Amino acid sequence: MALWELSSLEKYLGLKKPNKYSTQGDKKVPVLQNNNGPPLVGLVTLACHLVKEAKRLELLGDSAENRAVVQQWLEYRVTKLNNCTKDNIKTILKDLNLYLQDKVYLAENQFTLADILLYYGIQPIIVDLAIQEQEQYVNVTRWFDHIQHYPGIRRHLSPVVVLRNRIYSSRHH
Amino acid sequence: MKLFVSEGNPHCLKVLAALEVTGVQCDVQYVNHEETVVPFLSRPALPAMFLPSGLYLFSANAICQYLFEVNGQESSELCSQWLEWEATDLQPALLLALHMAVLQGKGSQVSNVLQGPLNYLDQSLSKGNTPYLTGEAVSVADVVLWAALYPVLSDSSLALGERKSVKPWFDRVAAMHSCQSAVQKVLRGKGLQGMKSYMQRQPAPQSSQCRDTQPCNSN
Repeated sequence: MALWELSSLEKYLGLKKPNKYSTQGDKKVPVLQNNNGPPLVGLVTLACHLVKEAKRLELLGDSAENRAVVQQWLEYRVTKLNNCTKDNIKTILKDLNLYLQDKVYLAENQFTLADILLYYGIQPIIVDLAIQEQEQYVNVTRWFDHIQHYPGIRRHLSPVVVLRNRIYSSRHH
Repeated sequence: MKLFVSEGNPHCLKVLAALEVTGVQCDVQYVNHEETVVPFLSRPALPAMFLPSGLYLFSANAICQYLFEVNGQESSELCSQWLEWEATDLQPALLLALHMAVLQGKGSQVSNVLQGPLNYLDQSLSKGNTPYLTGEAVSVADVVLWAALYPVLSDSSLALGERKSVKPWFDRVAAMHSCQSAVQKVLRGKGLQGMKSYMQRQPAPQSSQCRDTQPCNSN
């Protein structure tokens, strides 16, 4: 797991004082020393902590239902996307593509932390997609393109060129 | 709001226990392990909850958090941290342990697999020095971790050894009537064997795969 995600999130949230993180274990789980208590551990836990610190609670969902949906996709990010195998990538893309068919964001019409962390986690996979695959997972690439152009999110990640017009269209030829 | 569960699925133990502990009103439907409830997922995922908004929850931990929040108990930071640990650290070890114990008859090796997470839990409980994981009262973290560990900790044949802080915590949660009732609904008094048909439908545990597969997302 990568500490740059937390630094990027801090910048997006406009937090003035950057935190110093360390990691623990083989999986390099991020840790934040906390003055008021025991250290905080885990990417999701730390990301939610930063959002609360910046008083941007709407990023965690604006209703009990949406908060549960956000937590679910954050868990999906750290359990399914981290260290996934080549076979799993296809399933993940296929499922996300179906899910995003009728949605703008993961929590429907609301931009949340789930979009940010899933974007950071899926970026290395999307970079490697061939154009045909981009078309196969058109809803994922549409969502991805939307998030990478969301102000202040992309940071140092290179933009992925997403085709807006189909070239391999099976329907019109 | 509707909850879909299947018998013998340890994740369903979490949500049924959370439902009983919180007393939230919700329809519960028992389905087969293979039933596709969540329309966008390739693999059947249970438990699942259909929300009034039309969205689905397919993560047992998120469903439990939701039930507690509906009941007025929002997760604290420490609670969420335990849930994240459960999903990322405990679950892979548990899946492997259950695979060995239920399907391969290698119950004697389970102790090795679970040693790390159980010791971590024990140390945290003794450092915290409170009856429950996050303080003086039961939280969603206690229910989720208790339910996750129930199949292995309640089976004495696995010889996991007694840990001085895990044992009283586990017994304290288990003593709640709501938890006993959920156990009966999911395992039907059959213990580990009650999970056999569920385990047979699970993909082989990741930890045995990842040794020869290159992670795609290691940065």
